[in-house]
Amino acid sequence: MAAGKRIIGPGDETSWVLEMIGITGHAVYLPRHRIEREKIAAAHGGKPVLEGERTAIGFDEDALTLALEAVQGLDLPACGGIYFASTTAPYLERMNAALLATACDLPEEIAVADFAHSLRAGTAALMAALDRVAVGGSEPIVVVAADVREASPESPEEQWFGDGAAAVAVGREHVVAEVKARASVSDDFLDFVRRDKDERITSFASRFTVEGYCRIVGRALARVLEESGLRPSEIARVILPPMDPKMMARVAAELGFRAEQMQETFLDRAGMLGCAMPLFLLSAALEQARPGDRILLVGYGSGADAVLFEVTPLIEGYVVRDPIAEQLRHGLRFPSYERFRKAREYFRHHDEGPVLSNVFYEKEEVRTIRLRGTECGECGLRQFPPTRICQRCHSTTGLREVSLGRQGEVFTYTVDWLAASPMPPTVLAVVDVEGGGRLYLQVTDVEPSEVHIGMRVRLTLRRLGAGGGLYHYYWKCRPEGRGDG
Amino acid sequence: MVESLKDKVAIIGIGCTKFGELHDKSLSELMAEAAFAAYEDAGIEPERVEAAWLGTFSPGFGGGKASVTLADALRLYGKPITRVENYCATGTDAFRNACLAVAAGVYEVVLVVGAEKLRDRPVRGLQREGTHPYLEAGSTPPGLFALAANRYFHRFGGDRRTLAKVAVKNHRNGALNPKAHFRMEVTEEQVLAAPLVAYPFGLYDCCPTTDGAAAVVICRADRARQFREDPVYVKGIGLAVETGWPFFDPTFEYIGFPATVAAAAEAYRMAGIRNPAREISVAEVHDCFTWTEIANYEDLGFCKKGEGRYFIEEGRSALAGDLPVNPSGGLKSFGHPIGASGVRMLTEIVLQLRGQAGARQVKNAELGLVHNLGGPGSVACVVVLGR
Repeated sequence: MAAGKRIIGPGDETSWVLEMIGITGHAVYLPRHRIEREKIAAAHGGKPVLEGERTAIGFDEDALTLALEAVQGLDLPACGGIYFASTTAPYLERMNAALLATACDLPEEIAVADFAHSLRAGTAALMAALDRVAVGGSEPIVVVAADVREASPESPEEQWFGDGAAAVAVGREHVVAEVKARASVSDDFLDFVRRDKDERITSFASRFTVEGYCRIVGRALARVLEESGLRPSEIARVILPPMDPKMMARVAAELGFRAEQMQETFLDRAGMLGCAMPLFLLSAALEQARPGDRILLVGYGSGADAVLFEVTPLIEGYVVRDPIAEQLRHGLRFPSYERFRKAREYFRHHDEGPVLSNVFYEKEEVRTIRLRGTECGECGLRQFPPTRICQRCHSTTGLREVSLGRQGEVFTYTVDWLAASPMPPTVLAVVDVEGGGRLYLQVTDVEPSEVHIGMRVRLTLRRLGAGGGLYHYYWKCRPEGRGDG
Repeated sequence: MVESLKDKVAIIGIGCTKFGELHDKSLSELMAEAAFAAYEDAGIEPERVEAAWLGTFSPGFGGGKASVTLADALRLYGKPITRVENYCATGTDAFRNACLAVAAGVYEVVLVVGAEKLRDRPVRGLQREGTHPYLEAGSTPPGLFALAANRYFHRFGGDRRTLAKVAVKNHRNGALNPKAHFRMEVTEEQVLAAPLVAYPFGLYDCCPTTDGAAAVVICRADRARQFREDPVYVKGIGLAVETGWPFFDPTFEYIGFPATVAAAAEAYRMAGIRNPAREISVAEVHDCFTWTEIANYEDLGFCKKGEGRYFIEEGRSALAGDLPVNPSGGLKSFGHPIGASGVRMLTEIVLQLRGQAGARQVKNAELGLVHNLGGPGSVACVVVLGR
């Protein structure tokens, strides 16, 4: 490896010398829906605080479903664990990362952890993953951050926030960006807060808040630069999560960076993506990076994390399945502000779905969320849901449980206006998945006129209902080919 | 090989309520009205009934899941009553089971009632029960059949204009029928301009949800003439059940329904029918959606697969055609109270075979066919009746 050897880790008596630790994969997921900031502003009789549009979830999405899309975008062959970061995870008690691991159909012998309660949760999870990889096994840890933050209607944050997710794999093999130095500081500074009883954030945005940001980030940056022995000018790309859309130029100058060193923030097309922002921007930086580039990543919130990466030659062969530019290009605009709000609030007001037992969950839903089917040893037919008798040749022996493919093609479909839905019509399709097997799925994030027989789709886990204390997730599909066609 | 039912059972009495939005009548009242009309038509007293079969899909509040629904409605106590539920083939399957009992010689006179009251439900369309909370989420009856219609068009051509011709025909027939839910004709333009329900189906491509009940009294064929001069005989019955989840079956082609093909093959075998298109005089088939009727033409052997559109376009299934289909107006116009429909179809064919169908009478009706299709094409029952 061109980047050389270095000791990272506890440095205990075993004196592990590791070749390299760093980013081995990266992907982002932006929900397909958008709303123009002018539409939000107009609904309140005001002017937009920022030009452009923001990303926004559809009614069937949440931080967990966005996170899963980002993780699936990594196309990882193996994984030693999932660390999930979010300030808006759907479950406050229940390991969201374990549900993600189930949906990824990962084995049970892996590490899972949730990180929460701060915009720094994304980089906090990254730090923890780096520690674990330093002491642990050879398989990468996936760090995924996702947020769908709620700000009060009419607040500036309602406009400049966006929804999104970003995932990185942290490991020792196929490293595209090696970790060279890192530092953290803790500071109980007040900027955005949300109590246990609040549904929306409280913002303390002011000039003082910007000053606090500069001071805290400055301390973390100083430490990481000191550790690496680099000057600000030697950094190719600096990633600062924006805390206020107007302050970024000032912050950069104050911290000693030139404007051209700063990573573009996509605020005009996506928005501030909560705790997913640092990893989202890291992915953006890596999409453009060249070998030898130094990238300085900052996570901010009640203190700051700073990580210095050096890009390796492997970056040149790294293929991003669904690049940010492609995802930004294929938005679906909500027709109205009301639709945007309805999508966000639907499940807050609708909890009348089926009440199901944990026995049902264990026996049936787990296999469904893992997307398991049966393959017949006699005739080879793959079928869903799992069965003991082959649908075609009726064989009862040699049937084995298999994981079904997550891409497919529409065999037939309908656009249904009768099906009960918060946003009719419901598009339903019979989908033949790659590798065999046929599923019956709702098609989401789609204009009904786009749907046709033969359309390529990708499976996506979505909220299907809520009731009995649970959100119920099941697979839908969405059009493939934003960038992954 | 299974023994044939041919000429072992006869229908000696029929009764049918007005179909429609019967807001002022309960399910019990509808069942009583249909059953007593059938008693009268058969010329029997209620006490003559030795056993009864009830076909109902969703009887609503009270007595829901048992045959007490019928016992209480008719005050028919102390006798064997069986409730049958088999999706939209419920009515014909209740009839089939009653026929088996009579053919076995266990009973001489048996009552079959099909009844449903769908217009007092709090949902649009058909209230679904027992469907999977996730695996079938978002599915509706029109949506399930629309999946097949779109695939069929993809494979064989045709479009919404083809479908509209079925709606126009069945509404025209229904307008002639005093008991039909909708007694109005519609134009092709109206059908095409109606709001979409599940593409390619618009409002007029879908049968309505309806209240109604129908009843038949059957007896041993060798005793039928003790009751009336013009009994109608059962020539054959077939029932076939395929997967309830065709959308998970990688081998399902979505161009028709194997259940209908299998049920028809069984009924034709019993009846000795070799060329249904030529031998059958009149048919009541399950036109839950306009496209279903086109698929039925093919699956019942009235024409070849992929040629159903010509069967309607050339007018062959019209009242004056060579094989009139749904002279009653069909589910489309007569209405579709689930459990009642199959029994109601039997009453229509009996009227046609007796020559009592009035303005919609088919000429020289010798052999009539009834076809019920339930679920997403999962359960099919075919009955052949003759004089």
